[in-house]
Amino acid sequence: MLQGALAGLAAGGVYAVLGVCLTLMSRLVRVVNFAQAAAGMFGTYIAVWLVSNQGVPIWLATVVAVGCGAAISAAIGWVVSTWLSEADTSARSAVTVAVLLLLISLSFILFGNKPQPFRPILGGPAFQVSGVVISQVAVFTVTIAAVVAAASHALLTRTAVGIKLRALSERPTTAELIGIPAKLFGIAVWAATGAVGTLVIAIVAPSQSNDAIALSMLVVPAAAAALLGAFRRLDLAVVGGLALGVLQGAAAQMTELSVARHFLPFLFIVGLLVWFQRKEVWDAAR
Amino acid sequence: MNALELRDVTVSRGAGPVIRDVSLDVRPGAITALVGPNGAGKTSLLEAVSGVVPVSGGSISVDGTPITRLSRVARSRLGLVHIEQGRAVFPSLTVVENVRLSARSSAELDDALALFPELDERRDSPAELLSGGEQQMVVLARAFAARPAFLLIDEMSLGLAPVVFTRLLPMVQRFADQGVGILLVEQFTHLALGLAREALVVASGRVTYHGDAQALRDSPDTLHAAYLGG
Repeated sequence: MLQGALAGLAAGGVYAVLGVCLTLMSRLVRVVNFAQAAAGMFGTYIAVWLVSNQGVPIWLATVVAVGCGAAISAAIGWVVSTWLSEADTSARSAVTVAVLLLLISLSFILFGNKPQPFRPILGGPAFQVSGVVISQVAVFTVTIAAVVAAASHALLTRTAVGIKLRALSERPTTAELIGIPAKLFGIAVWAATGAVGTLVIAIVAPSQSNDAIALSMLVVPAAAAALLGAFRRLDLAVVGGLALGVLQGAAAQMTELSVARHFLPFLFIVGLLVWFQRKEVWDAAR
Repeated sequence: MNALELRDVTVSRGAGPVIRDVSLDVRPGAITALVGPNGAGKTSLLEAVSGVVPVSGGSISVDGTPITRLSRVARSRLGLVHIEQGRAVFPSLTVVENVRLSARSSAELDDALALFPELDERRDSPAELLSGGEQQMVVLARAFAARPAFLLIDEMSLGLAPVVFTRLLPMVQRFADQGVGILLVEQFTHLALGLAREALVVASGRVTYHGDAQALRDSPDTLHAAYLGG
């Protein structure tokens, strides 16, 4: 079971990174980005096509994939910033559902509906702990989750750009009135989270389910991770993602629970929503 | 010409116009008071000038440059600063962070914070933990740090005790003394008219008085008639 739990770290790291991206998007540009993983999937598919059909080196294709993921996200950000700048979070988030479906459909049209022949960028074991193998992918995803969360926190609290981003997230109109360009900053956040999301998906796709829908639906466990931090706290998003990955990995090792592991993100989300509701009732009663 | 100029400005919201054909000039160093009953359209007019809402007719210019089609950010770069109704602080940002957003240098930041010694002890407190008066000081300090050419002030007194407001009011005159042109919307009509050189009364979206502020202050009958629609 320990082996399974630690094997789940790779997936947990992906959930954590995407959870951090969702948290940043929610905090800074008031969107729950349901297309977060789909943009990464599409960029990664382009990389696979470049490697398989054009003979492009894997590292260069990965760079192109990250650029494409960033560009797709930036394009969505441009649309949302231009036409939905005054809309509420629900309306802005609804747009990303449409983009999620568009990207999945487009991937079927352009690349077919079979899993893609991913070539791993990272592979094999990184090290062993008490006979339990930790993969390079797990080390990478967990590390990048921690680094992205810490770097984002430092950016938001210690830099002029971060302070402007926080100002924009709290009072967008007031921020614009003092000269902070909301559209430019918003698109930059979309692009940055798109790039990071694509990078982890490109790294982890060869070792995970690699069809378009499975990769795009990574947004569900990522949302569960972000929910632990109420889409506000980056550290709890990392903890939530890793915990979910470890639980899924452990469940996969137990015959009676192996099917149930697919429901864990759902149970995680329901459990957290019930818990938050309980807190509201407690506060109201007090 | 150095002025903030409005010509026949009409602003529509929802069903129809809330401001019709308003023309006025705000000159550097002058305070223009904009008063009138609640719902007259004063806030909408300020929001149209700063770009929060679009104008549906007429034109606005700053020092001869048309700004009617410019973004809020572009207008702020021309020196137009809008102090919104309520206390427009960024709640989770500290006092220093709030003011630094407008300052271009450490010197500007220090100058702005020095306006209110009360804020010195609260420099690193989140703005949401400050009293209403202190939050309004932060907003004024942030406006000062921006080095505005024209300042739009919307109901600075809203929700503040009169004693706190009278502590803040001299700052408006200080801005003007430094050459800033000010368009002042204020519920305390007599205080606003006491500061201003020129006044407009707006009722039901139309200007019902436009002239000398002191004369209006000294003539309650004229003021009441203007409030009732002229």
